[in-house]
Amino acid sequence: MNGAAPSLLGMIVASPFVAALVLLFVPNRERVLVRLVALLGAGVALAGSVVTALRFNLHAGGLQLAERYPLVPQLGISLELAVDGWGVSLLLLTGIIIFAGVLASWKLEERTKEFFILLLVLVSGVFGVFVSQDLFVFFLFYEIAVLPMYLLIGIWGSSHAVTEAGPFKFVWKMFNIGGREYAAMKLTLMLLVGSAFILVGIFAMYVASGAHTFNMATLGAAHYPKAMQYWAFPMLWLGFGSLGGVFPFHTWSPDGHASAPTAVSMLHAGVLMKLGAFGVIRVGMVMLPEGARAWVPVIGAVAVVNIVYGALSAMSQKDLKYVVAYSSVSHMGVVMLGAATLTTNGWNGAIFQMFAHGIMTGLFFALVGLVYERAHTRDIPSMGGFGKVMPAAAFFFTLAALSSLGLPGTAGFVAELLVFIGAWQSHSSWWAIPGIIGAFLTAVYVLGAVRMIFWGPGPSDKFHDLVDVNHTEWGALCILGSALVVVGCWPSLVLDFINRATPAYLHVILGLH
Amino acid sequence: MNPTLADLAPLSLDLMLVGAILWVFVLDLVRPSGAGREAGYLTALALAGILVASFFVRTDGTVFAGSFQGGGWSVFFDRVFLVSGLVSVLGSIEHVARHHAHRQAEYYILLMSSLLGMLLLPGVRDLLLLVVCFELMGIPLYVLSAFAKTEAHEGGEVNAPEAGLKLYLVGVVSTAITLFGLSLVFGLSGTTSIAKLGHTAPSPLLGVALLLVLAGMGFKIGSVPFHMWVPDTYQGSGTPFVAFLSVAPKLAGFTALAAVFLLGFGHQVQAWRPVVVALSLVSILGGNLLALAQTNVKRLLAYSGIGHIGYMLMAFAVTGPDGASMLLFYAAAYALTNTGAFLVVEAVGADGGDDSISSMAGLYKRSPILALAMLLFLLSLAGIPFVVGFWAKLYVFMAAWQVGFRALVVIGAVMAVVSLFYYMQVARAMYMRKPEEDAGELRPGRALRLGVLLCLIGVVGVGAYPAPLLTEAQNAADPLFAPATPAAPQTSAALAFGQNDD
Repeated sequence: MNGAAPSLLGMIVASPFVAALVLLFVPNRERVLVRLVALLGAGVALAGSVVTALRFNLHAGGLQLAERYPLVPQLGISLELAVDGWGVSLLLLTGIIIFAGVLASWKLEERTKEFFILLLVLVSGVFGVFVSQDLFVFFLFYEIAVLPMYLLIGIWGSSHAVTEAGPFKFVWKMFNIGGREYAAMKLTLMLLVGSAFILVGIFAMYVASGAHTFNMATLGAAHYPKAMQYWAFPMLWLGFGSLGGVFPFHTWSPDGHASAPTAVSMLHAGVLMKLGAFGVIRVGMVMLPEGARAWVPVIGAVAVVNIVYGALSAMSQKDLKYVVAYSSVSHMGVVMLGAATLTTNGWNGAIFQMFAHGIMTGLFFALVGLVYERAHTRDIPSMGGFGKVMPAAAFFFTLAALSSLGLPGTAGFVAELLVFIGAWQSHSSWWAIPGIIGAFLTAVYVLGAVRMIFWGPGPSDKFHDLVDVNHTEWGALCILGSALVVVGCWPSLVLDFINRATPAYLHVILGLH
Repeated sequence: MNPTLADLAPLSLDLMLVGAILWVFVLDLVRPSGAGREAGYLTALALAGILVASFFVRTDGTVFAGSFQGGGWSVFFDRVFLVSGLVSVLGSIEHVARHHAHRQAEYYILLMSSLLGMLLLPGVRDLLLLVVCFELMGIPLYVLSAFAKTEAHEGGEVNAPEAGLKLYLVGVVSTAITLFGLSLVFGLSGTTSIAKLGHTAPSPLLGVALLLVLAGMGFKIGSVPFHMWVPDTYQGSGTPFVAFLSVAPKLAGFTALAAVFLLGFGHQVQAWRPVVVALSLVSILGGNLLALAQTNVKRLLAYSGIGHIGYMLMAFAVTGPDGASMLLFYAAAYALTNTGAFLVVEAVGADGGDDSISSMAGLYKRSPILALAMLLFLLSLAGIPFVVGFWAKLYVFMAAWQVGFRALVVIGAVMAVVSLFYYMQVARAMYMRKPEEDAGELRPGRALRLGVLLCLIGVVGVGAYPAPLLTEAQNAADPLFAPATPAAPQTSAALAFGQNDD
């Protein structure tokens, strides 16, 4: 049954990378060709993800479509690709976001070729993380997904409203790094320190298992001493968590997202932060179950802080991009809360929230970019009445906002409902209360922003001739918007995949072999 | 006993190099106004030829009553030296032709003489020969670093004579210290044969002797606290020569250290290991932290190189086949990467740059290929995945972790992140700054481009598929410890200890 495409997963991972290689040889002035090649690379990956979903045997479950190529046999490292139900849903998410992301950055004129090369390399890494079954290769792909961000933000980002702050402020001043370069450098350094933690955790597992392989199934089946799990798990939690926006290591994210160009914000908030959460659950919790069980109260409590703190911070922002960025911090808290519940509903909800929030925040950032490109401002109070001149943008923005606050019929509702039910069923039922307060706060700030920007009085004179959604933007917005509604109305489309993988992993962590 | 020519087989690579030196020398003599650019091309061709020959010639066996041993270890290092020499010669051709048009052959003869010392060093198994080879390597370097004589260095505050004098004084003093230490070793052991040093009884005086040798060698490899000559010499000397100086002599220093400590005193590892670990720690910390403050790319690379010496010392302190093979891998990775980075600096400097970080501004526009190459070299130096430097650091960390140097590994990893910060300062200039108004397209000479390309292929190729080089390194290091040397059981004991510890 695998005959037609023997290496489907390999193709998904490779196609953006191959497109990037092809772009190296396309002259920079052929802008249209550059964009078409990028779109083709993303399109093949998206198509591959859909085919994977269709081929995935829901009855059989487990890991499917496996491929294996030895890489460093001396250390037991090999390129092992396979997907489980979680992988399928996250592949779909990544495919949708990158395809829409390329469409949304169609008009980028500055150094177009380099931009798409970096973007495609990055997305290859993301795909790789979701399908690799070798822990080391997992880490390598993770790094590929993180590193191009430095240049993507540093070169194409905006310095608007980004100011240095925090305990290391003097360092930034000393090296004269400000604006987007500050955001880029801060993001890179924080995530790399996280990577160092991850690497230590991975080594600890490799050495303690004595298995001389990085195969995730083998390492996961090994029995680790409790003492080692107690210190190795937080390494992985904080390491991956720094990308997943875990409080207080989220501070790179608002600055990074606010200064990143549109497609990069979409990809970063939409998919990359999920890598972090996925890493915490798939590597940290599943592979070091006793460590995870011991730390779950802390994870849950921090997640709750994330939800409420993120929402309160979003509320006090004037810059539209910061609002969306802080809302991401808040929503990633929902993912971590779901993970901390250790219940089927909670875990299903966590993965589903990754999907739902990915699509939703992708839509948000696409629209923020679109509005900024036309109005040249992201300052919410100075906007108003945009709904009259750009009704389509207003429609999609409202849709994303409704999903963000968890309106039934949108994907966000299903995810948050599952997580809150899971929280209620868990040992710490009180988690559900701040969680729901967070959802309420989300409604306050997100509806406030929608009203101010699109439905309030105005538009003022300088905004009279704003152009509505056009050309390729329609493609990006329609794909993301319809995904949000379709999955919201018919959640089993994605949930069936997720639920196929959850019980097995949950058994491992609860020790119910 | 009549030695035949066949007995010299272990020295075949070295003899070929002697031939090449004579060839260039004669060429210089017969040309009416001395050899021109062709001396450089000839040298490059000869080095490439010897490099290729190293894959076909059998060099196993010993000569001179066991004082020199050929074989895998020696050939691996020889290849690294040859690659480093070849690439920096390629980078030198334009530079030498422009600045020293009338004494081009001299430059290459000196460089090859130094290389000859290096090629011999890994195989040396006798203390006297060790010192001789070390000086054969070192003395031409003093001359080369001051090769520009009085010609003012463009824009730099350190000039070539100062650079040369610093290297010379430090070199001579460190040789004296090393010699003093080795004479004590000889007094205590009664032999100059490295293989027999193992029978020396441990004593406090031996500890002092080893400390002296380590300090002397520490100057040569430029580890903290013996590093002060490094940045000044790098800044003052010609960049293509620094590409060579920053790599090959340091690695040669490691082969000498390996001969004395791993092979000679491998069984008394406890006597010297703490000192090496301490040197490693201060070099990693000092090199990386001091690099943060640099505004000159050559000085930045100098300090970062000190940090890399620290990582190599970490591998060295692991001892045994594991540590030795990781040292080999790191050496190869460092050679490819650092040489490449200096060549890019040369390309920019030759076009009117002053070697400052800001002179790299807008390189992406002036030469996209060079900028990309430099970016990859920098990432490799920082130890980022999918370039060779990552695997090098990873392997060293794994080996060190398993023998229990946990704190050192953690500090090393944190410092790797710090290093990314200053490497990114260069990347920032290249990609996020506009080129200066008068800076046009950058087109370095063909030879230099070839040199950069060779390094780039190595850095990316091995980075993508490290297994073959790792196998080579292991094959080269294993036999060194095979014939019942005391170091091997030490390591396996240490390994078992490391695993029990979890």
